[in-house]
Amino acid sequence: MLTYTLLAGLLFGLYFTLIGLGLNLVFGVMRIVNLAHGDFLMLGAFLAFWLFSLFAINPIPTIPVAFIVFLLVGFPLYYLIVPRLLRAKDPEMLSFILFFGLSQVIQALATILWGTSERSIPGGQLGRAVAAILSFVTGRTVENGPVDIFGQSFPAAWVASGIASGIGVLLVYWYLYRTKLGYLTRAVMVSRDEAIASGIDVDRISAIAFGFGLGLAAVAGVFAPFLLGSITPAMGAEVTITSFAVIVIGSLGNPLGTLLGGLVYGISYMFMQSYYSSWANLLPYLLLIAVLLLRPSGLLGRQTRRA
Amino acid sequence: MFGKVRLGLSIALLLSIFGAAYAAEAPKEIKLGTLYASSGRFASISMPVHYGLKLWIEQKNAEGGVFIKAFNKKIPITLVAYDDQSNTATAATLFNQLITQDKVDLLVSDSGSVLTSVGVPIARDNKMFLFDQTGTGSAFFTPDNPYIALMSDPVSSVWPKPLADFITHDGKSLGIKRVAMLYSTNDFTGTQATAVRKFIKEAGTDVEFVYDQGIPTDTTNYAVLINNIRAANPDAVIHLGYAPNDIAFIHSLEDGGVNFKFLFCIYPGLETELLEKNLGVKPLNYIFTYVTSSEIEYEPNFGMKLKEYKELWNKKYAGGNVEFGFNSVAGYNTGLVIEKALSVAESLEQLEIRKAVFSLSGKLKTLDGTFELDANGAQLGMSTPIGQISVDDHGHIKFVTVWPHDVANGKPVYPRP
Amino acid sequence: MHKLGRDVFLILVPVVAAFALLPSVYSNQLLLFNFIIFIVLAQGVNVIYGFTGYLPFGYVGFFGAGAYGFSLMVLHLQAPPFLAIVVGASAALVLALMLTPLFRLSGAYFSIANLAAALAVLQIVANPNLEDYTRGPYGISLSGVFNPRLAYAAALAVLAATLFIVIFLRHSKFGLALQAIREDTISAGMAGINVVRERVIAWLLSALIAGLAGSVFAWYASVFYPETVFSGEFTIFAIVFALFGGTATVVGPILGVVILYGIYNAVGISTPQYFQLIYGALIVGLVLFLPNGLVSLVRRWGIDVP
Repeated sequence: MLTYTLLAGLLFGLYFTLIGLGLNLVFGVMRIVNLAHGDFLMLGAFLAFWLFSLFAINPIPTIPVAFIVFLLVGFPLYYLIVPRLLRAKDPEMLSFILFFGLSQVIQALATILWGTSERSIPGGQLGRAVAAILSFVTGRTVENGPVDIFGQSFPAAWVASGIASGIGVLLVYWYLYRTKLGYLTRAVMVSRDEAIASGIDVDRISAIAFGFGLGLAAVAGVFAPFLLGSITPAMGAEVTITSFAVIVIGSLGNPLGTLLGGLVYGISYMFMQSYYSSWANLLPYLLLIAVLLLRPSGLLGRQTRRA
Repeated sequence: MFGKVRLGLSIALLLSIFGAAYAAEAPKEIKLGTLYASSGRFASISMPVHYGLKLWIEQKNAEGGVFIKAFNKKIPITLVAYDDQSNTATAATLFNQLITQDKVDLLVSDSGSVLTSVGVPIARDNKMFLFDQTGTGSAFFTPDNPYIALMSDPVSSVWPKPLADFITHDGKSLGIKRVAMLYSTNDFTGTQATAVRKFIKEAGTDVEFVYDQGIPTDTTNYAVLINNIRAANPDAVIHLGYAPNDIAFIHSLEDGGVNFKFLFCIYPGLETELLEKNLGVKPLNYIFTYVTSSEIEYEPNFGMKLKEYKELWNKKYAGGNVEFGFNSVAGYNTGLVIEKALSVAESLEQLEIRKAVFSLSGKLKTLDGTFELDANGAQLGMSTPIGQISVDDHGHIKFVTVWPHDVANGKPVYPRP
Repeated sequence: MHKLGRDVFLILVPVVAAFALLPSVYSNQLLLFNFIIFIVLAQGVNVIYGFTGYLPFGYVGFFGAGAYGFSLMVLHLQAPPFLAIVVGASAALVLALMLTPLFRLSGAYFSIANLAAALAVLQIVANPNLEDYTRGPYGISLSGVFNPRLAYAAALAVLAATLFIVIFLRHSKFGLALQAIREDTISAGMAGINVVRERVIAWLLSALIAGLAGSVFAWYASVFYPETVFSGEFTIFAIVFALFGGTATVVGPILGVVILYGIYNAVGISTPQYFQLIYGALIVGLVLFLPNGLVSLVRRWGIDVP
């Protein structure tokens, strides 16, 4: 039972890493609190759902589609909203409220268009891809179904999202630390004013990061029907709060921090479910507060925060 | 002495003239006030109920109105309905609006315990009788509040009795001794869990709980929980949660390749169409659930039978977003109770209406089942038998009723293949 | 100081009197009650955000604490309502004291942590393991103290007290000190203001206001689930109403509530599906085009708004 809980926590935690990656990027670069993060995730989930139900498109190819679509949405959205916001008296606080309003708008539109009922995608869809990958990797034919890890069996979807998350972390890391654009992005993350002074086109960098953030949220959304049971237009709010906990526990700006944050969250959540099940939902909030008070720069903390 | 008698007679005569004059002043319309949730988390259980009620109203108005004994004629019904959007604070204000501004004659609640709960004190304070459609919270029905009665569902503390009885009686011959129960902690499912525990303990058999956990209602992740249940090696698993919980739970079983010998869930029975849409038919096969009135052809002594009602419903609402199921029957059932009560009530005074409603207890049988209230207005009838889902060769879901024996039409398949 | 008297006369008295008299002409008393609650909550947000610049995204935590403090006193000790209100308000104060370490955080972190704290309190209160104390997820059902008329009167008293506090802040040295802290903490400290102490006092005042509102709400409603009194909606509405009207003023939040909550009820009753959409768009527009609220429009013309 212990092994299962631990492994489940790892896999599930990886999913939350994926969710937190986008938020981390946005908050780190722009100090903007994207309270609509969960709602973009929801949009990604519905995109996967409709592509599957209407055109029988498997979720795997939907992943890059979701990413690109929301990258393209995020870029202009940034220019529409953020520059005005940053000129106001208290941008951080106002961004809270603005993105909350945006979140309500997105939820309302989704509810009007699609109704409130739960939707799902059969788990077998991802299972096929996972089976194919595993067969390729291990050389044996793996069946479409639950995956065996150290003798414990897990839904294939969890493994798929774990893999996707790992890839996501590596991609973001590579982007930030190995590309020129990422280098500039990190400069903006450390100090926006100095970056402007150095002649960096801060708005463009931020817009790209914002687009990436939304794209990553949408990608996480594609996995949501499998990891979160079912999807509804109102699912975003809860996801947003938990993803905040994840990125805060890790540390801002560093994708490895989000990885750690996700794992910590996932494992503790699973343990809570096993031993103190009715208190399980208390956990992310306590973790968040504890980390903010005890180790404000996060577990991997590097000083980028004034407290 | 004759003088006194003549005086008495004159007074009586005068009074009866006035009385008749007063009685002759029948209202032009009967205002029925209710709430519904078109969005939010209760929309899926609220809209079908509302549509069912509306169907009844339209039917009556097509016949010239509902018969009111107090005025000895048919009077048309005007529906005053507001949308509370699943928000309790809004619902409270709207209840108040219906009573104080719209001055409705009949007050009908929204669907479900949460949205009904706010109306209970408001109705009581305004001395208005509340027709509680499907709010089963046992806390609503107290001796100090006469202004409420439950229409279409058994009260939560009584509802799961058939399940407990099935396990303690038939379960023995099937070999069910170890029971695992997982429930969401809220008024609806938590109360049912308490009831299941109580009834099984009272039966005094050797059935024991090897797993008994409550989880938050917004849980969507069941992998570890399922694994822990499996580790306890149960003969029967009971999952009490709302529709999203059931969907996530059954999904998780499928994806994880886990099969329990016996699984009971509430919503495959209460919202079959919704679960089918989300899960497909295969994962639902052989699951035990409540068989609701939308699946059983009861023999009513008043109002339409299920078959006719379903036809009427499909004619009006087919192809829409609102699924036919138990809740659509519940709304119509509310209408039937109102109709019968109005046909025996001596006046439109709220306490008189209450008396009329309570007089139907034990005597009224509708397409929803037998109407039976306890002294506080809690519904003891309308009980739902236990059935097992069976998928036929065409991929259609059928319910095989297994308990109680007098309505059973098949044998349970155990363990689950 | 005479400005204080002027404002009490011109603002506090008419508003409270209006709400005292309206029930005799408009019988949906619950709606009026809700207006009062939101004015009180918006002013509470005003005290902490308008005057100190900290956004309490978990403000409803104090409201819920007040509601549960009241309810538990009535449920377990059969306390008379006025005593229970005092206890409810104290519960909110205790919670606020427990959360003062959050002030070490700045801006967005404070808000997120505050939100997490409020959600944590909800989870604790609603936990079935605590059913014997808080009735867990099954909700509170108070019988025996049900008295909407008296509860409404209590709400009026809370409204008067809250408006007085805000008027006081607006015209006092204390309020000025708070605004100085909001603008520039370091300079304020150098000017001799005890930053930490003043901030904590404002925080406690703000929590007290919400606690009183919560207690009165529990009294009026008498039946509620934990999610009802810990609903994020209270926080959001309070913040939006305060911002819309304009913070750091007395009339701003009142205006915000009357206009926006009025629209909410009017629209909500006629075209509810689009309601969330309209509201969300309104919030976005508000932040983008009128971040300092309605009163800033008036201020631009040079009029000093109380």
